[in-house]
Amino acid sequence: MLLQLTVSGISQGAIYALIALSMTVLYRATTIVNFGHGDFVMGGAFVVYVAVILVGLPFIPAAVAAIGIMFLLGIGVSRGFIDPIKAGPHIGFAMMSISLGYVLRGSARTLWGREVLPMPRVFDIEPVFIGDLVITGDAMIISATVAVLLVVFFLVFFRTRLGTTVQAVFQSERGATLIGINVRAFHATMWGVGVGLGAIAGILIAPISLLHPDLGAAFLIRGFAAMTLGGFGSLGGAVVGGLLLGVAEQYLGAYVNTALIDITAYLVIIAVLVVRPAGLFGRRVTVRM
Amino acid sequence: MSKHMRYGVSVLGALGLLWMAGTAGADETTGVTDTTIKGGVMGPFTGNASSYSNAAIGLMAFFKHIKDQGAIHGRKFEIIQEDTACEPAKGIAAAKKLIHQDEVFYLHGNSCSGVAMAIKPTVEPTGIPSIIAHAVNPNISMPPTKGIFHGVPAGPAYGSTMGKFVMSKPDTKRVGIITHTNDWAKSYCAPAVEYMASQGVDPVVELALERGQTDATAQVLKLKQANLDFVLGCLYEAETVIFLRDAKRYGLRVPVMGTAGTDLENTLARLGDPDAVKDYYVLHAFVDRVDGPRMQQWNDIILKYYPDETITGFSAVSMASGVAAVKAFEAAGRDLTRSRFIAELEKIQGLETGILACPISWSATDRHGCKASAVAGFVDGRPTVLSAWGKPW
Repeated sequence: MLLQLTVSGISQGAIYALIALSMTVLYRATTIVNFGHGDFVMGGAFVVYVAVILVGLPFIPAAVAAIGIMFLLGIGVSRGFIDPIKAGPHIGFAMMSISLGYVLRGSARTLWGREVLPMPRVFDIEPVFIGDLVITGDAMIISATVAVLLVVFFLVFFRTRLGTTVQAVFQSERGATLIGINVRAFHATMWGVGVGLGAIAGILIAPISLLHPDLGAAFLIRGFAAMTLGGFGSLGGAVVGGLLLGVAEQYLGAYVNTALIDITAYLVIIAVLVVRPAGLFGRRVTVRM
Repeated sequence: MSKHMRYGVSVLGALGLLWMAGTAGADETTGVTDTTIKGGVMGPFTGNASSYSNAAIGLMAFFKHIKDQGAIHGRKFEIIQEDTACEPAKGIAAAKKLIHQDEVFYLHGNSCSGVAMAIKPTVEPTGIPSIIAHAVNPNISMPPTKGIFHGVPAGPAYGSTMGKFVMSKPDTKRVGIITHTNDWAKSYCAPAVEYMASQGVDPVVELALERGQTDATAQVLKLKQANLDFVLGCLYEAETVIFLRDAKRYGLRVPVMGTAGTDLENTLARLGDPDAVKDYYVLHAFVDRVDGPRMQQWNDIILKYYPDETITGFSAVSMASGVAAVKAFEAAGRDLTRSRFIAELEKIQGLETGILACPISWSATDRHGCKASAVAGFVDGRPTVLSAWGKPW
């Protein structure tokens, strides 16, 4: 049972990891925490649903189209709603992201409010049986996708000029501007990347869950828990945090009480903030008063 | 007290009495004009329990049908629809709007027990008649309050049916439970457990699966370890799908008895895998299969007014209490007041609606109108209405 719980936890945690990773990418690039991110994840899931079910595209082209659409939406959000409030207080970004998320959710409710939609199975991979252990096709696809994305992002962030740019803008926007970086365009692109990554999470969730306009909320809090556990701003931390959270849910559910599964994310947030506020891989920040 | 003060107090007192008299009069006939009766229908039109809104759609179709048939004592129905999203806070806001802003004569509908319980303190003091047409928590309508009636089987009726069905399977000894931890789930599972205990069987294991969860691995593996004969599943539809998917995935091959919160064919449609639902049984409130000949006239009414509607196991369930409401409106006569309407609802006895498997009977002391249910399951791959394990209805 332990092994099965671990495999299932990793599969579930990989989705949390992807959501946390996409939020971390945006945070690292823009210092903005997107509180509406769960709804962008939902948006990605619904776009792929529309593309597959209503338009009739095969899954892979539909997924690519969904990522592209959500990438453009992210750029649009940056240009249309974040740039105009740049000079205002930071809390404005939080309010704006929450509001945009709710607008997205409300729009989905307008179109599909009465529906809990099933997405047909797209990962037609037979499960692997190793003794009593079952590794499902979904688990393999999700884990592999997250692993590939993680490698790509590590290479980009730590081995390319773009990664250096991200570091520069994160540390000082003014400094980055002075050395010739178009910070506005850079932020817009990173909004696109963050929302596009969130869309990938939504696309992976769609076939293993039921779609409804409110699905993003539960995943958002788990994304936050993963970020907190891994350390805010740490790419690797987001992924490790997500995986640990997924496994912790399974262990707590199986060995303590199944009622704890639903509150594991909150328990993790509380525990980390009390015991190790910087998380597993975050850097400790000291503020002189 | 000076003369002026006594005068002032007298005037205020008189005004107060006048206001109270006016309010009382307005309360009794609020929402009624010479030509209309205004009703409020609440349901979860959004959110992950939105499939239950089929019930509210069915009810509204029924009222449109009655409206087109002609007036009741010269009055036609004017129905206002409000969304609760199956969330208590939204339900309270919806109830307040219907009662105080839209000033409806009565409330009808409500699929979610949590919402119905949450709005009870808002509804009860107003004395507004309220017919619960889908939610099952027995405490919504019992002990009796002035205006609240249950138009579907409540938890005890449904729950004991679940228990009876489980125990009707020969040699059932080990039963496990997977449940939400809310009032709605308890209203099903508690009477089922009570019935099984009366037959000498206590649950071997009881596990939680909360709303919104997308994985049931831990629960399924624990149930599998318990080596069960039957599983009671007190879950909403979305989580039932997750559970049945994982049950098949991890080889939990045990019959599962579900609530009236799930619909057999809808569950199959969402899972897309007949093998995953072949051992799944659900409470079935109706006299026939959802698409059976005896349900045809009700399905036709729904499709006439909502042509795009998909008929599910929830679609006609609230129409039965609509039939009862119309009967009470007819009996109340032209001088319609809330008290008179409530009095007529209390007189309804043994009303065969042609929809529910049980007749509706209300009284001043018993507001649970319907006290029995059938069960539906796939037999040889076809949805079949059953009275007990292996016995057709």
